[in-house]
Formats: sequence, C-alpha cells, structure tokens
Amino acid sequence: MSRIIQTKGLTKTYRRFKKEAGLKGSVKSLFKRQFVSKTAVSDFDLAMEAGEFVGLIGPNGAGKTTLVKMLTGIIAPTSGEISVLGYCPNKLENAFKKQYAVVMGQKSQLIYDMTAADTFLLFKEMYEIPDAAYRRNLEMFIGLFGAGEYLNTQARTLSLGERMKMELVAALLHNPKVLFLDEPTIGLDAPAQRQIRAFLKEVNSLNGTTILLTSHYMDDIRSLCPRSVVLSGGRKIYDGRTDALFASYQTHKKVTAQFESETAFAAPPGCTLLESDSHKAVFMVPKEESGAVLERTMREYRLKDISVEEEDVGAVVEKIYQSRGGAGQCGAGQGEAGESETGQGETGQGGAGI
Amino acid sequence: MRKNLRFVWLLIKCKFTRMMMYRADFFHAFVNDGILFAVQLLAFSAIYSQVDSIGDWSYGQMIIFVGTFSAVNALNMLIYFFGIVDIPGKIKRGDLDLYLTKPVSPLLRLTFESVNVGSLPLVAMSALIVRYGASAANVDVSLPLGLGYAALVLLMTLLWYDMEIILRSIPFLVITANGIMRVEGEIIGLNFKVPGALYKGFFKILFYFLLPYGIMATIPTQFLTRSVSPAGIAAAVLTVAAFTAFALWFWKFGLRHYKSASS
Repeated sequence: MSRIIQTKGLTKTYRRFKKEAGLKGSVKSLFKRQFVSKTAVSDFDLAMEAGEFVGLIGPNGAGKTTLVKMLTGIIAPTSGEISVLGYCPNKLENAFKKQYAVVMGQKSQLIYDMTAADTFLLFKEMYEIPDAAYRRNLEMFIGLFGAGEYLNTQARTLSLGERMKMELVAALLHNPKVLFLDEPTIGLDAPAQRQIRAFLKEVNSLNGTTILLTSHYMDDIRSLCPRSVVLSGGRKIYDGRTDALFASYQTHKKVTAQFESETAFAAPPGCTLLESDSHKAVFMVPKEESGAVLERTMREYRLKDISVEEEDVGAVVEKIYQSRGGAGQCGAGQGEAGESETGQGETGQGGAGI
Repeated sequence: MRKNLRFVWLLIKCKFTRMMMYRADFFHAFVNDGILFAVQLLAFSAIYSQVDSIGDWSYGQMIIFVGTFSAVNALNMLIYFFGIVDIPGKIKRGDLDLYLTKPVSPLLRLTFESVNVGSLPLVAMSALIVRYGASAANVDVSLPLGLGYAALVLLMTLLWYDMEIILRSIPFLVITANGIMRVEGEIIGLNFKVPGALYKGFFKILFYFLLPYGIMATIPTQFLTRSVSPAGIAAAVLTVAAFTAFALWFWKFGLRHYKSASS
C-alpha cells in the first residue's frame, strides 16, 4: 500500500475580532481592537494508505471541516506539514485537483438552475474526462443509486437526499483517487442515509478509492470505516480500529420510557437515571444488559412508548478523555477549540489541551 | 489556452441553458438592458444639451466620450460583471470553497460564468452613439482608426475588469469592504460624466494613475478624434498592463489568505 495522505504537526489558528456588547463596546473597539486566536486544529498527525476508508469523528467545532479544507487546499495551515498524493494542497495545482474530489453536505457543487446532467457535462470538460470513461462512470454511478430519473431534473427542485446522490455522482465522474466527504448524510432521513452508505461502500471496494469521511453520526462511521480518528478541540484523541473504539467507549445505551399513567419509576440495578418525572424516565443502561433491562421494564411498567439510542459522539469523546485521566473537559463546551486573547494586531496561539 | 477557450465557451453555453430554463428571463434580459440604456441617454441629453463644449472638448467629442463610456460599461456587463460582482459575498459566505477545488482557474470560471447577453443591445446602441458623435465632431472614421479605437475600448474594458478584481479582492484581507464598493460606484458615476482630460493636479494623478477610471473613455475618445499623442497611448497601454499584472497578483495573494467560512 502507498501513502496517500500525510500530515505532521498540522495546526490552523484563526484570529477573531472580539468586542463587548452594546454601543460602548463598539466605540471602544474602534480605538482598541481586541482579537482572540482560535486554534481549530492543533498539532495533528495523520497517515492514510491507498484504499483506506477512515472516519473522522468529533462534536461540532472539533475541527473536522477545517482539517478537510486544509487537505483539499481550500485554506492554508498556520504551521505543520501536509502532503496529499505527494502534493502540497494549498498550491492549488490542477494536476492535484484532478485526483481528488470533495463533497460537502452543506455546500452544493451542482448548479441550481441547471439539471444535474448539464452540471455533469461542465465537470466533464473541467476534468477533461474522455467520452467513453464519462459514459461508463455515469452509467455505473447512476445505476448504483438507481437515480436515473433525477438526471434531467433541475437541481433546485431535487430533495436533499436526491441532491446528495447527484453530488456524489458529480464528485466521482473523474475517478478520483481520494474522496473527502464532509458530513454527506447531514439532515437526511434514515433510508437516504442507508442508500448513501451502501453506495460509498461499493465505491470504496469497487474502485479502491481512498475515502476520508467526517460525520457526527456514529452509524455512518460504524458501518463504513474500519479505522476511526476522533477529534476534540482540534486535537486527535483517538486513532485506531472503529470496532475497538465502540467496544471501549460506546458502552451504554440511552433508554427513554414513557408511561401510560402516573408512575414511580426506580432505575434498574446498574443503570443511571438521567431524568425522571411521573410520566417519563430517561436512563443509561450498560450495553450488555440492555436486553434484560428492557424486558424487565416492559414487564413491570405500563408503557406508552419506549426508545433506545446509542451514545452520541459527545459521550464517546468524554469517555476517551476520562480514560486518559482528563476530567470535566468535555462538557457543554467540548466542541470549542482553544481560545486565547491577544492584544491589538497580535496573533496568539491557543490550545485545547487534553 | 485551447482548453481554457473551450471551457469559456462551455460556460457561455451553460449560461444560455440557465437563462432558457426561465423563458421570461431569457427574453426580458434584452428588453431590460435596452430600457436602462435609454434612461442613461435621456440623462446625458439633459446634462449636455445645454452646452456645446466643456473645456476644450467639443459637443461631438463629448458624445463620443459618452458613447465610449457606455460601450466599456456595456462590455463589462456583457462579459464579466455579473460573474465577479459578488466575489465579496462569496468570500464572506465561504462560497469560493468549491471553486478552489476544481481543476480550472477560479477567476476564469467566475469571470465567464455569468455572461449577460441582455447587454448586447447596449453595446450596439453605444456604437451608434459613437458613430453619431464622430459625425458631429467631423471625424472621418477610416478602417485603421476604427480598429485602433475598438482595440482601445477592449483594453479599457480590461482595465475596468482589473479595478473590479482589485477592489473585490480586498475582502480576502478585511472583514467587510462595503464602503469601498460604494466609493467605486461614486467614482464611476463621476467619471461617466467628466472626461479625464479635464482633471487637473491631484485629481489628474488620482484618476489617471491610482484609480484610472479617468482614462477609460477619455483615451479611446482622444484616439478617435486624433487628439492624443503616441506617448499618451503608450502610457495608457502601460497602465493597463501594470494594473492587469497587479490585479492577478493581488487575487492570488488574496486566495492565499482565504479563510473560508465555518460550515
């Protein structure tokens, strides 16, 4: 296998203007401007081999999108080394751009007033895709999605799920060696998410495309990525097998039970009660005991509804911290990267620290 | 080069495709710009019908000047204005992200992706006004003179483009540049009415060398009326070359400082 992505000590620091609220603060800021430095990504090392499918997990503000933007050359790093396919991304060389693709869940590359087919033709020209390869790829990817009916529909009239399918087809027409996916399933319903996951799995195995997927949906990562990298506060806090990550840190399930009538609920042994009133109880149950606890709850209480959820990314990040001896750093502000105040015109270096 | 030309042609075809998605837009674009031009003409008639000359500029020269400025403005709107006008917004919203990841120059794509064929009648009407001005100024327009004039108009359209790119690249470096855009509008308005040759002292330096809107219609007009020296033309050409080089450098400099926007 050959090395496709390599970063060493990658850091991105933003400088942000800060002022006190109100008119007085505005007047003061006219004469004495204060800035804070926000370290979005800090001292980040990553190595990815050809054909790998790696998940990048982290809560909002963890630095996932900033990292993807540096890897694709959209923004320049503040410091550190970065190499993608042997190129320095921020040089924005066309030879590099022809070898990767990026799909951002919240930004569309389709031209809204045109049909997807018209945008694909524009991309064919941009990427200089030979006719035969273009026809073959279009047929294959549209076939995988079963999305032929959307081809000649104006992009602005497509639903979010239909649009995302077309975005992925557009990204893959030129057979990129690396595919960066930034929250591709954000806002999609469960069936659309499943279709996109199946598609990506197929693309990775059929074409050997190296894929870096950022998501805060654990299901995306668990079903697609053998390897995961967890980011928090701009720092890497886990890099290893996804199954080991979930086995070690996603140890509980969250159960929400709603009762038909007023009920005095007592948390089952080994469970932690998070929230409770006369008609509702929310509690955490260890994964291996979840079946037995659910059965007991349904037997002992008259339930109106019951739902079971996996622990979210925030809880997983919290547990990684705890396992490393950290405490209290992943609460409400867990997504915030380090901030440091600097004086007028200075750029400081913040750090989240773990 | 050939690839770029092919790409530009495809962008123009895409623009037509987009326009034809909305049939009303396609046909109204021609009518709308024609009406705008008529309003402009009425305004200029009101201003200049009261005087025969301003400074040593005769009535005929003034009409050529007005037609020339209209032509540069119309070419600007025809070719690139609607593509590059929202560069500050794209910087602010992070919309340049996907332009930067495609294997074509982002500036080339922005420049030609919103050609506005609705401005074609304006170009034609501007040419008619120049023709009328030339006859009022008793200028016999030979083929070489006409071609030279057309080349200078295209050169000045490039200069206008350079200025727009320079001003619209400033938001790469500052939080907002709305004020600069407003100043640009005022300066263009002023230079639409006053030939650069009439400026003196500081204003001459300002509008010839620093914000060269003063030469955009003046030099082609003076060329057509044979009232500019070869040195004057050479200076104008050098000015365009210098501003083009600076605009391209400043755009690239700005791109290196592009911060994108959080998603």
